[in-house]
Amino acid sequence: MKTFLWRRIIQFIPLIFGVSLLSFFVMHLAPGDPTSLFTNPNIDPRELARIRANWGLDQPIYLQYFYWLGNLLRGNLGTSYTTGQPVLQEILARLPATLMLMIPAYILTLLITIPLGVICAVKKDSWFDNLITIFSFAGMATPSFWLGLVLMLIFAVQLHWLPAVGISEISATNQSMLARGIDFLRHLILPLSTMVLLSLAGITRYQRAAMLEVLNQDYIRTARAKGLPERMVIYKHALKNALIPIVTIIGLSLPDLFGGAFIIETIFAWPGMGRLGVMAIFQRNYPLIMGIVVFSALLIMLGNLLADLAYAWVDPRIRYAKK
Amino acid sequence: MYKNAVVIFLFLLVCLTGCAGSGSLSAKPIKLPDPAQADLNGSLILSLGGEVSIINPILLTDTSSSAIEGTIFTGLTTINEKLEVVPDLAKSWDVSADGKIWTFHLRSDVKWHDGQPFTADDVVFTFNSILNPKVNSVRRSDFIIDGEPIKFRALDNLTVQAFLPRPFAPFLTHTGMSLIPKHLLEGKDINTAEFNRRPVGTGPFKFKEWVTGDHVIVVRNDNYYLGKPKLAQIIFKIIPDENSMLVALEAGEVDSAGVPPKDYRRLKAKEGLNVFEYDALTYTYLAFNLANPKFQDKRVRQALAYATNKEQLVKLIFKGLASPAYAPSVPISWAYSDAVEKYPYNPEKARQLLKEAGTENLSFTILTNQGNKEREKAAVILQQQFEKVGIEVNVRVMEWSALLKIINAPKGPKDFDAVLMGWSLGLDPDAYSIWHSSQYPVGFNFIDYRNTAVDRLLARGRTTLNQAERKKIYAKLWQIIAADQPYLFLWYPKSIEAIRERVGGLSRPGPAGLMLHLEKIFVTK
Repeated sequence: MKTFLWRRIIQFIPLIFGVSLLSFFVMHLAPGDPTSLFTNPNIDPRELARIRANWGLDQPIYLQYFYWLGNLLRGNLGTSYTTGQPVLQEILARLPATLMLMIPAYILTLLITIPLGVICAVKKDSWFDNLITIFSFAGMATPSFWLGLVLMLIFAVQLHWLPAVGISEISATNQSMLARGIDFLRHLILPLSTMVLLSLAGITRYQRAAMLEVLNQDYIRTARAKGLPERMVIYKHALKNALIPIVTIIGLSLPDLFGGAFIIETIFAWPGMGRLGVMAIFQRNYPLIMGIVVFSALLIMLGNLLADLAYAWVDPRIRYAKK
Repeated sequence: MYKNAVVIFLFLLVCLTGCAGSGSLSAKPIKLPDPAQADLNGSLILSLGGEVSIINPILLTDTSSSAIEGTIFTGLTTINEKLEVVPDLAKSWDVSADGKIWTFHLRSDVKWHDGQPFTADDVVFTFNSILNPKVNSVRRSDFIIDGEPIKFRALDNLTVQAFLPRPFAPFLTHTGMSLIPKHLLEGKDINTAEFNRRPVGTGPFKFKEWVTGDHVIVVRNDNYYLGKPKLAQIIFKIIPDENSMLVALEAGEVDSAGVPPKDYRRLKAKEGLNVFEYDALTYTYLAFNLANPKFQDKRVRQALAYATNKEQLVKLIFKGLASPAYAPSVPISWAYSDAVEKYPYNPEKARQLLKEAGTENLSFTILTNQGNKEREKAAVILQQQFEKVGIEVNVRVMEWSALLKIINAPKGPKDFDAVLMGWSLGLDPDAYSIWHSSQYPVGFNFIDYRNTAVDRLLARGRTTLNQAERKKIYAKLWQIIAADQPYLFLWYPKSIEAIRERVGGLSRPGPAGLMLHLEKIFVTK
């Protein structure tokens, strides 16, 4: 187990190198540069050329990459062009808000979708299954910006129950911890509901399909034949096997937790990573884009590793033997 | 059966949205609060559409950072509601007879927010920092005339002189540049200084807090030299989505928001809101690539102008919230003149001119940038209007950077037919960078426009200091350019801003905004 872990972790290094190399060059293929957004008849284009040179953008691209890599090896992700602040600091400043939205959304989605998928599979073609199917497709077909705005109009503008935008009531900074916690939860409800409502469809469908497949297996028939109670058949024999494909999907979506949800963050003015990343791309803020790429790549690898470890836990046939 | 259920479900959702926005639609008059009811502990909450990046006047390039900077910092001069340059940190100034030496006399009662006195050294430091090639300031070219930098010198603690290599009329508007403190920034790398996140200025509000991506708070500066502000604080809330911003305004979470034309009528009728419309210093145009054989004949460009029904265009897109443009200046500028050829809509004449020019089967592509709905609609309407005189037009909507790559290509001829874009103008009418033949291929004369008379007038316009004389120069200039039609001038958009009725002390609506005198702005309880 330990050797397996170490081997996997060492594999991360060439992977990160490859990912950064590829993204660096692809990023520079996009037209424009970080000074494109300054275009204004009152600004002399020669000044923009001077600023690009200050950032080292007049150097050949391969040299720029080596400078960047050299800095990375020294633990320096560079400085954001737009703010002049270290990239690491920019990313870390956005991380808490992102996680505070994404983790609850993720947990809640799993808590709802896995049982729903199981029930739908067990009661295949019942009215319940049909209803959930309709909702799932409606959820998939609904654009998040639209649902977000509808929820805001109902709960913030019409009913005045919840705040429309932001992560906290700004004037509430000098209140007690409890009041601030409640305030945060009130701000969380709408974006969280939007996210969960829209992501219900995906995992429910997967879970339903996986469960149906397992329920048709011979060992389930055997379990039933030997007279096990239905509850036992479903929860012990079927569910555990039906979780394997879900574990893969969960593992693969781990980077989303960090990457944030751009549209939801934009609609609800939530200061998360999604907005930071998309903004960085529009502004051609190369150091920030690269910082986010490296972070995301690491998380994808970590997500895969965790998924592999989880397989061993849910499926006794999978073991990572010592060699 | 599923299908029906889905339809009903969606129908219900649509109903919910539809109902939420209904109400009476008759415009209501502006209602301003009584200054006697001002709440001296009140907060004004403003919304910003973009992320705040850097709160340093010499480095910032985005409107959000600029909005905040304007509450914290001040400059030697500022502008009034008529866009005239008036004293601020400089209480007066004089200019030598040859127009090359400007002397500014500073106020003696000004302190930085950290208590240090403001002096002439700060002024010199600010301008020298802008001119320092290592500092990433896009404002540097404002202080360089024909390749020679302006020199700044402190005569004493309260007097600053600027030495210009030659007379330069736009210089005065550039003295509105906000000033930064020498004692906090000297010897530091200004590009990456911590100061840019925790600024210290001389303005009516002091920096308090910046939560990245969420909000910035500035609080009252009790020692502000123009009087103690009435607001206790201003909170700037970042709300990137235009629709969410309006929802937040209607939910009472912010006090003001920009209004897109589509929401104008609804908000104008809304209780509790004042909606103001005012002219902006911008114009939108269709630029023809004159290096491209298709547009080299002046008659073709004039034909396109005759083929354009600007009134219809503006009515369809803006529902009256913009006006047709005829010249490369804006009506609110003192240098504006509409004594130009206006090319009233006349498809017959357009056809005739095209025939004379021998280009009856003209076809070309209009490029415009993604994300600006008005421009995209305009391109399509122009396509239809031009079709009526037998011109075939393709429309291509491109990402901003991709579009700029084409028009900013370092060598001519550039690879495009026509571009639909807009210019935001400075306070000074000088348009050298847009029209002078030296500004091609590097520069903003990206269409390769050349006219020696225009070049001469542009050079005279910026070196003449007498405003009445300049007015004549620019009137002539606009006349020649309109006759040449290198651009088809389209419209002047209006800025629309909704402000809650609890906010008072507003200045007269104009391109300088509604909050020109920040210290007078107040909110009621």
